[in-house]
Amino acid sequence: MLFNSLEFLLFLPTVFILYWFVFNKNIKHQNILIIISSYIFYGWWDWRFLFLIILSTLVDFIIGQKIYKHGDSPKRSKYWLSLSVLFNLALLGFFKYYNFFIDSYIDLLASIGYDVKSPWILSVLLPVGISFYTFQTMSYSFDVYYKKINPTKDLISFATFVAFFPQLVAGPIERASNLLSQITNERKFNYERAVSGVKLILWGFFKKLVIADSIAPIVDDIFNNYTEHTASSLILGVCLFSFQVYGDFSGYSDIAIGTAKLFGIELISNFKFPNFSRNVAEYWQRWHVSLSTWFRHYLYIPMGGSKVSKLKSVRNICIIFLVSGFWHGANWTFIFWGGLHALFYIPVFLMGRNRIYADNVIGQNTILPSIKELLMVFWTFILITFSRIFFRSPSLTDSFNYIERIYSNFSYSAYTHPMGYRMTDFYILLALFTIYEYLIRKDERNPFKFKSKGVRFLIYSAMILGMLLFYDDNVNRSFIYFQF
Amino acid sequence: MKKFLGKTALYLFLILLMLELAVRAFHLYTVDPPRYIDDHGVEKRVPHHNGYSVTGNRKQNFSEFNINKSGFNSHREFNPSASKYEIAIVGDSYIEGFHQDYQNSIGQKIEEKIEDIEVYQYGYAGYDFANQMHLVYAYQDTFDLIDEIILYLNYENDLERDRYTPNTNRIKMLSSTLFKIRDQIKLLSYGSKIGVLEPFKKLATGQNPFKTDVTAYQSNEIKEETKAEKLERDKRYIANFQNLIKLYGFNKSKTTLLLDTRRTSNVFLDFCDQNNIKYIDFSESFKKSKKSTNLIYDMHWNDHGRELIAEVIASYIRNKKKD
Repeated sequence: MLFNSLEFLLFLPTVFILYWFVFNKNIKHQNILIIISSYIFYGWWDWRFLFLIILSTLVDFIIGQKIYKHGDSPKRSKYWLSLSVLFNLALLGFFKYYNFFIDSYIDLLASIGYDVKSPWILSVLLPVGISFYTFQTMSYSFDVYYKKINPTKDLISFATFVAFFPQLVAGPIERASNLLSQITNERKFNYERAVSGVKLILWGFFKKLVIADSIAPIVDDIFNNYTEHTASSLILGVCLFSFQVYGDFSGYSDIAIGTAKLFGIELISNFKFPNFSRNVAEYWQRWHVSLSTWFRHYLYIPMGGSKVSKLKSVRNICIIFLVSGFWHGANWTFIFWGGLHALFYIPVFLMGRNRIYADNVIGQNTILPSIKELLMVFWTFILITFSRIFFRSPSLTDSFNYIERIYSNFSYSAYTHPMGYRMTDFYILLALFTIYEYLIRKDERNPFKFKSKGVRFLIYSAMILGMLLFYDDNVNRSFIYFQF
Repeated sequence: MKKFLGKTALYLFLILLMLELAVRAFHLYTVDPPRYIDDHGVEKRVPHHNGYSVTGNRKQNFSEFNINKSGFNSHREFNPSASKYEIAIVGDSYIEGFHQDYQNSIGQKIEEKIEDIEVYQYGYAGYDFANQMHLVYAYQDTFDLIDEIILYLNYENDLERDRYTPNTNRIKMLSSTLFKIRDQIKLLSYGSKIGVLEPFKKLATGQNPFKTDVTAYQSNEIKEETKAEKLERDKRYIANFQNLIKLYGFNKSKTTLLLDTRRTSNVFLDFCDQNNIKYIDFSESFKKSKKSTNLIYDMHWNDHGRELIAEVIASYIRNKKKD
């Protein structure tokens, strides 16, 4: 079920009313309601894959108990942890990466002259959100292993933690220490939290429907027909893709966080205005925070993080980014994208500038940013946007051809929208969006932080009007990160 | 909780009110002048309505219309007489011309090209050939006084019927309270036009409102017609055409078809030639044009396209007058 669908418009109020008016007396009943709703939410896409979630839930629930039970024996608890990791990676490996490995193996043989026909390629559907919920259940096993939490003995609570519908298919990837503890505790309706949830939902929908969906046809047109476009259009295409993927994914996260708030649950922030990052390290502290945090906690730090020699730290950074790239999809383009980010990150790390912006934002104490900050933001945006050519292209060959067409035959021509719409509308929209994001840059949880009620009301109305002005019934309204 | 639900409802109401004001202030909505079926059974607009027709979410096209005494969008009233030279152009939305200011219509352009001529545009969105033939038949007294009749034939769509029957259900539906409310609340009118209300419409009419993208895209696939299917279709269309002539008459001396031969079957064109049915072909003029002839948001003719159409019709009339 998509957030931006009629079914969700009917689904959400129904579950909300049942949750607070019918099952509000008993937390167990509320959790059962969430599980059933989450399974309906997920099964709306394809009910067969519900079994995977249920299996993943049961396996990690049992393993969590086992790890805890054998806590005194590092060997045995490690054995159970490995089993959890293996199980989840096996799920991912089969559904997401199996064909990639077989294809790559065949290509490798072909490159040394062996033409192999593969009987091993399988027609496997990629279950929506598998990368998200497997990582979430793995985090539970890790946290139990590292004794950050005690395992729950309540299967219903654990199943709620795994399947909680607002963040089930595209995150934020929650750690058990944050989400499970909220699920096991009694929730009381809180007016301020609910209002802040509705505001985040509105902001998320604006980013998805107005920013991402309206420019999606332009990006699709340019990337699908890149051989027919001039260099200026290709640059435009990838710049717009930067906005599209940000609007799409951060929009989803905001709707998820807002929806969770309606049920009395706080999820972690996933995006903190990454377009205003002053270097690549800051970008990774602001983009898809839940995934970066996951990798830092469960991969980077266990490998020694930055508390080892410089050389080993650089190795760790490379591993993190390559794995992160591979997490996004079974394609060499994502691995290359990850590698490119490692290359961007390492100089920042070696200069010791990777944490300097962790606690402040652009224009921290001023109204306007300094020229230096602007130049840094601009440069970071260029680097990130350049890497997205690999993220968006279907293959490495297409990525390199796309780049080659930009520099080998640079020419300018005004781009014409595939549907004939005025391009000026989109340029104005993105300029206003960027200015607005700058105004609210200090608090990603409160996108309407204006004192005047009248101003806030006008902004709400303008955003909904924007949704109408840029509504396009022909756009594929699915979220980009569902494929991961 | 009560406060939350109450305030949510209040805000929702105020926002809707604000949107209604914005839609009115920026005239984002389109006005669809009321329709009716007259005593002759002809479906048309209720006379004497003025307003603006809008295309697209962001007012990509904005033009004024004027429904005259006869119930058609035109820069003039239709008062044919034996002493004047008049031509009637009958057709669908391309002739109705809600995508242009009524002062800049094909009729107006023809009148600017030929002196002492009056052009009557009997255009109505959705007219097929059956509608057109019936109209000429129903208003026989008027058309007897008109010197030239041009019927716009979009071959691919217009010959599906072999007789005209008035669509009373549609008119009833459009004049129902629900639609009257929609027309009064401009936000609804706008939402309906841009497709936002589509799922709700489906829900209300018992259709499946839950669109899956896969199905939606599959349904857009273009299916290539086989030769046999094309032939079958041509046969059916020609039979329908013949039946319409039989029912409503066809004055060959002053009736001409306006068509695009690129989109018209050769079988049908041969049929016209064999039966002395004249047609004006505007395909050459469109092909030669270096500028686009259609609007960018839909396939209706833009100002340049209308200029070319006016030119081919004017040229035809000039030649005919010479003869």
